[in-house]
Amino acid sequence: MSDFLEVTDVFTHFETPRGQVRAVDGVTFTLERGKTLGIVGESGSGKTILSRTIMGLLPTRGTVRGGTIRYKGEEIQGRAPSEMRDIWGKQMAMIFQDPMSSLNPLMKIGMQIAEPLIHNLDMPKDQALATAKRLLDDVRIPESVKRLNQYPHELSGGMRQRVMIAIALACGPNLLLADEPTTALDVTVQAQILDLLREQRQDRNMSMILVTHDLGVVAGHTDEIAVMYGGKIVEKAPTDGLFKNMLMPYTAALLESIPKMNRPSHTRLTTIPGRPPDLVSPPAGCRFAPRCPAAQERCHSEEPPLSSAGSPGHVYACWYPVGSPVYREAIERRAKETV
Amino acid sequence: MRYALQRLGQFILVFLVVTFLVMVITRIGSKDPARDLAGGLVAQEQVDEVRELYRLDEPFVVQYGNWIKNLVTLDFGYSYAQNQSVNDMMKQRLLPSFFIGIWAIFIGLLLAVPTAIYSAYRRDGAFDKTMSTTSFAFLSMPPIVIAVLLSFFIGVKLRWFPVDSNYVALWDNPWQHFRNFILPSFTLGLGLSAVWTRLLRADLINTLQSDFIMLARAKGMSPRRILWVHALRASALSLITSIAIQMGGLIGGAVVAEQFFAMPGIGDRLVFAIQQNDLLVVQAITALLAIVVVAVNLLVDLFYAVIDPRIRHARAIK
Amino acid sequence: MSAITKKRDWPTVLAAAWLIGLTILAFTADYLPFIRGYAESSPEGIGFSKGPFTSFLLGSDQLGRDVFARCIYGAQISLRIALFSIIIGTVVGGTLGMVAGFFGKASDRAISAFTDVMLAFPPIVIAILVTGRFDALRKNSEAFSWLSRTWSITFVLSILAIAPLARIVRAQTLSISQREFVLAARSLGARNGRVLVREILPNLVPAMVSVIFTGVAVLLIAEGGLAFLGYSIELPTPTWGRLIAENRNFIREAWWGTIMPCVMLFATVLSFNVLGDRIARRFDIREAAL
Repeated sequence: MSDFLEVTDVFTHFETPRGQVRAVDGVTFTLERGKTLGIVGESGSGKTILSRTIMGLLPTRGTVRGGTIRYKGEEIQGRAPSEMRDIWGKQMAMIFQDPMSSLNPLMKIGMQIAEPLIHNLDMPKDQALATAKRLLDDVRIPESVKRLNQYPHELSGGMRQRVMIAIALACGPNLLLADEPTTALDVTVQAQILDLLREQRQDRNMSMILVTHDLGVVAGHTDEIAVMYGGKIVEKAPTDGLFKNMLMPYTAALLESIPKMNRPSHTRLTTIPGRPPDLVSPPAGCRFAPRCPAAQERCHSEEPPLSSAGSPGHVYACWYPVGSPVYREAIERRAKETV
Repeated sequence: MRYALQRLGQFILVFLVVTFLVMVITRIGSKDPARDLAGGLVAQEQVDEVRELYRLDEPFVVQYGNWIKNLVTLDFGYSYAQNQSVNDMMKQRLLPSFFIGIWAIFIGLLLAVPTAIYSAYRRDGAFDKTMSTTSFAFLSMPPIVIAVLLSFFIGVKLRWFPVDSNYVALWDNPWQHFRNFILPSFTLGLGLSAVWTRLLRADLINTLQSDFIMLARAKGMSPRRILWVHALRASALSLITSIAIQMGGLIGGAVVAEQFFAMPGIGDRLVFAIQQNDLLVVQAITALLAIVVVAVNLLVDLFYAVIDPRIRHARAIK
Repeated sequence: MSAITKKRDWPTVLAAAWLIGLTILAFTADYLPFIRGYAESSPEGIGFSKGPFTSFLLGSDQLGRDVFARCIYGAQISLRIALFSIIIGTVVGGTLGMVAGFFGKASDRAISAFTDVMLAFPPIVIAILVTGRFDALRKNSEAFSWLSRTWSITFVLSILAIAPLARIVRAQTLSISQREFVLAARSLGARNGRVLVREILPNLVPAMVSVIFTGVAVLLIAEGGLAFLGYSIELPTPTWGRLIAENRNFIREAWWGTIMPCVMLFATVLSFNVLGDRIARRFDIREAAL
């Protein structure tokens, strides 16, 4: 039982001219202090909206929110932005995807880091700037004193992402939400940023939610992984357990779609056919059924519940999980047909 | 720095072309430029004196060079029609016009900035919709119409402020200065505020959707700080550009406002000089006003380069 | 766009109705029994001013003349001058802008320099200066005796319209020339003239129409200002600006003499702006500063 972050049955729907978009549709998970949860899914799976829902950063107009989000035992779902401001920065902080556009182009780096210190923690300006310098050292930015007086455009993408991490760390939050923190960066820089995040998380005993489309990113950097599809969690397991025993065909498909080192070069990557479901009118049964290689009649009509996989903490939502006889048969039949 | 020099070079070029055109236009239809430059009905000796002084027997280009030389040394000549040196006249007449313009810009910004910020913050709300309609209406209101309405309701009906203005220097009597300038400045300021409200609102709405505003919110910054510091700073640039663009219109409006409220400014004098065929004064004032427009544009360009680090940077790379 | 938003757009309807009504009244004024002649003399003789909605729709001025009739005659002059000027301005400015935007290089540099210089002059200042000089020209030179105030004001306002129009058209032309269909036409070997006339010109039209409407509004304002400063067409023909200027000395005794032409001018400028704005929005043209 954890009382750090409990997310129960959370949904976020958007009103659009076409109807309600059910971007997040009943998500439940808990996160313990000091742990990292990876949320993985394609674009459009609702993972970014989920992270913003937890943070309370969505526009209020045209948004329907529901369920409960308990942070340290306190209900924060449905709070107005003015009430959330005590939490933003000090308790929860967020790192965004694009370091190019997420820093204020007209404000010096030093001030951007010092600003929350001055306004949230009432720190005097010179002390805040001294802290900002220390934070820049913490995130391994060389020549930190000089950087304080530079503008974002004078820094490289990786550097800017480090600055964004420094900003997020400034007020000592307990929960860090990182929304695709490495997607916009060069591959060589990605690993550095992920290592930095892990190290800072351990040093500061923070919890982290790492949102990404890349199973490879979460593999070595999370304690637990939740796979999202069509606004729902379709499989959740401790990181080791998930990679050992994937049960949801969608998770397996996601893994197939990333290149692996141990395959011969020029192996074709497997793509997932079709497109993510329309969240205005999602499919009746399993939302992945239209794209699933092993979908049966039941999958199209009846929605599978999250059920336990046997090993502790591993749940999945599938009638015929990977490895089951029906699944194997379906895959074999399909293989024959294509030959 | 190189950019500044380049812009300065452009400025000088435009300055030369503009002043040349002013001189050409002023000479249109003048049978005897010497007589007209001397102010019309004056003695023949004076006309000859003027002919000598401005080298009117020599080719046009020489006359032009002579005039420019005088302009650059800030010697505007002597108006025989007014029996006054043009320099003295400028000294008297420039300040009222300057104050009308400055207060108009001030009023425009004072009304536009908070309105635009609140409209953008509560976009499509009742306030935004009302203000959007109001500003559209003011945009369509010519300065003379605003002047008539203001003078009628506030000057004639309510008798709050004088309809016939006098020039009172700010430092002599701030209250009287304020009383005399409020109607002419409001006449122009209302129009400007309409333009700027619309411009700034649109720009702010754009800015408020940027990622860095989202980050500022996630940092826990207050809406006030996000609007006034983060968003306004980014959007202020287009506002400053607009001040430069509006400069020509503002000067034209000031001529009308001065005439309407009988403010003894430079525009009032220009209208009179054109009627009197006092070419020397006409030439000097027109050139001066055009130069003000060009100079303000130059200043804004340079200021832009100073205030926006991205531009500064881009230029440095080039 | 869809069936849901098919609500009547009242501002547009009113603006169009106002402009159409005003135009019809203005150009048939000479044949309308309730307007003809009333502008000069009054059936009730000289004497101070009856208020609006008495025997005069909008009251009478200090000479007993019908303000409504004078406003309508004023509309005739003001509209005619503004329309003529915008046509000349659009043809000249549009051509310059298209050439600059399409051919670029030296032509662009020359035309841009020209517009830069033109925009350095405060419009009203240059307008009164040129009109004043044209007066002198007409007086001093036989060859220019035809150059009436009507002509010189039309000419001046056209000149003022050229530079801003050239700028807008240049920007539009530039963006259109980069679009797929123009590149496609060029890759098929179409010649410059053909591309310009067949591909670019038709695509300029929506923007141009919008700019023309807004431009007429701006020119009406300028004409009003010019008339107010004493540079209107020959006496005794009324224009809105002149009515405002003449009658404002009697504003205490007869406010309608000034306020009514102000309302007319405002309503007309507003109508042109509303229509220009709607067209711009319809075709998604960014607000251009004129």
